Amino acid sequence: MLEIDGLTRHFGATTALDGLTFSVPEGALFGFVGRNGAGKTTAMRIVLGVLSADGGAVRWRGEAIDRRTRARFGYMPEERGLYPKMQVGEQLVHFARLHGLQAAPAAKAADHLLERLGISDRAGDKVEALSLGNQQRVQLAVALVHDPELLVLDEPFSGLDPLGVDVLAEVLRERTRAGVAVLFSSHQLELVERLCDAVAIIEQGRLVADGKVSDLRAKASRHRWELQLEGEALEVVELPDGQDEQALLDEARGRGRVVRFAKHEPPLAELFRDVVEAKAAA
Amino acid sequence: MIGGRQAVWIVARREILARGKDKTTAISTGVTLVILAAIILLPSLFGGASKATVAVAGPGAERTAQTATRIQKVFDVKIKVRRVADDAAVRRLVGADKADGGLLADGGKVIVAGGAPDGVVPALQQASRTVRARAPDPPPLPVEKLDKNANDRKGFALVALIVLYGQLLGYGIWVANGVVEEKASRIVEILLATIRPRELLIGKVLGIGLVGLGQLLLIAAGGLVIGAASGKVHIGSAELSAVPIMLAWFVGGYALYACAFALAGSLVSRQEDVQAVSTPLIMAILASFFLSFQAVDDPGSTFSQVLSFLPPSAPLVMPVRMIVGGAGTAEVLISVAILLVAIYATVTLAGRLYGAAVLQTGSRVKLRGLLG
Repeated sequence: MLEIDGLTRHFGATTALDGLTFSVPEGALFGFVGRNGAGKTTAMRIVLGVLSADGGAVRWRGEAIDRRTRARFGYMPEERGLYPKMQVGEQLVHFARLHGLQAAPAAKAADHLLERLGISDRAGDKVEALSLGNQQRVQLAVALVHDPELLVLDEPFSGLDPLGVDVLAEVLRERTRAGVAVLFSSHQLELVERLCDAVAIIEQGRLVADGKVSDLRAKASRHRWELQLEGEALEVVELPDGQDEQALLDEARGRGRVVRFAKHEPPLAELFRDVVEAKAAA
Repeated sequence: MIGGRQAVWIVARREILARGKDKTTAISTGVTLVILAAIILLPSLFGGASKATVAVAGPGAERTAQTATRIQKVFDVKIKVRRVADDAAVRRLVGADKADGGLLADGGKVIVAGGAPDGVVPALQQASRTVRARAPDPPPLPVEKLDKNANDRKGFALVALIVLYGQLLGYGIWVANGVVEEKASRIVEILLATIRPRELLIGKVLGIGLVGLGQLLLIAAGGLVIGAASGKVHIGSAELSAVPIMLAWFVGGYALYACAFALAGSLVSRQEDVQAVSTPLIMAILASFFLSFQAVDDPGSTFSQVLSFLPPSAPLVMPVRMIVGGAGTAEVLISVAILLVAIYATVTLAGRLYGAAVLQTGSRVKLRGLLG
């Protein structure tokens, strides 16, 4: 399990992280959601040791993270980076070796991964000669080549076509089935909803909600009901605490013929908007 | 996990492979060798000058020298006669390289400077024979050679200076460009998730430096071969020692400048800004280069001495003084010690600031902001 425990970080006068706490279980695909500037990238960079935290701690399997642990992490930064003039295969071997693999196993892992991602015929090409989609695949390969225990991916789906999204999703699921913890950020909330076992929503450097999407939805839907009278538009009614929904139904039946009455199951995008607005209002 | 030394080596190895495969490395080696060949084969720098000044004192000596000017064509020289007061003045002129040769004892002895054209002595001998023709079969004049290789050593120092300057500047800028390449492409973020900033910095500087050192060795070997084959350059132990001197001072100068260039590169995010941010370093190398020329002619001057102690100029001035032969062992040791301290300070500072600077994208990072 990856534990992010009370992380704080300031950049000059701005507070990027303000006691951020959540954890990512092993074998789970975990979505990391928040507005631009909410602190997602800062948190990920701290997990990877690229930035230092002003306070708080990050633990992996119960222990503080050091160089040794980080060598078993895989990272895909938001701003993609590869050596443009280096061959794809060589590049993967280089990063595998930086993560501690010997030359022969590194070459083997690189070959295998390129095969899996369907770009083994481009191994000898320079990165700059590849299409953007293929560069993205190589970027993912760099994060995966040393078979990490934890994957931290900043916006891995951005810029991918629908087929690319499917390939990436399948590769990530494969990893989680093997017990890898995957933390990824995304603004594509339908995608997060579809793929993720659990999510964390942050705003202004603090956690505002986390857990399974279904649990979050159940919590939010407790007081919201969808009601539709014949010949009228669907409306979502929010009931005050303690008020019985049957009373609402009775009242509606008095007005006309009820064709739909159900608990409102909000999509993640709506949950997100609600919690973020609530936080901003607070 | 990998150890620090291993990380440095993996980074350095990538740099060596990348620079080695780059065609520009081979091209720049070739261009340097061509320039070197031109310098060696041009007559002005090494030996072979056809113009020569001969200093004389006394009517007998003057008559011999004038005779020599009439037959000089045969010996492929053009002699200019310079009259001076006495033999001591002749010696002084030749000793200071102001004259290529001279006649002592009113034409009874020839004295010649190290770099004098080949034809001078035979021309004077033949002229003396002609002047003394009445005596039966006159013996050749005794010949005294002054420091035979002084001029060749100056040539070596000049070539070493030009090559060292090119290497320091070229490879320094290469380091800055390499740093910005990683920063601009944001690959540095993945690298720093794996290894320490200091390891990345040292690996990069080391890898590029080894390519520079290898290229320098090739150039030195090529230059010696061209020089020896041309027959114009005397290559003795003093000349051969110029090669290790040059290599050693490249290592020192490069270590100092490359770390500074790496730090400069880490401050900007775009390749276009490298030039602006490394201008102070380029100016320092340029200024040292131009100030080094006077050390070729006068390696013992106070000015040369001072320059050879200052870390930015020492890597260019000190090798020149060592090759020409104007630097004492104690001076060299002091200069090396000062340079080592400067290198240590630069590496420490760069290692500390590099990691922070290289992760800040956008506008140019202020050094003062990093230090505070």
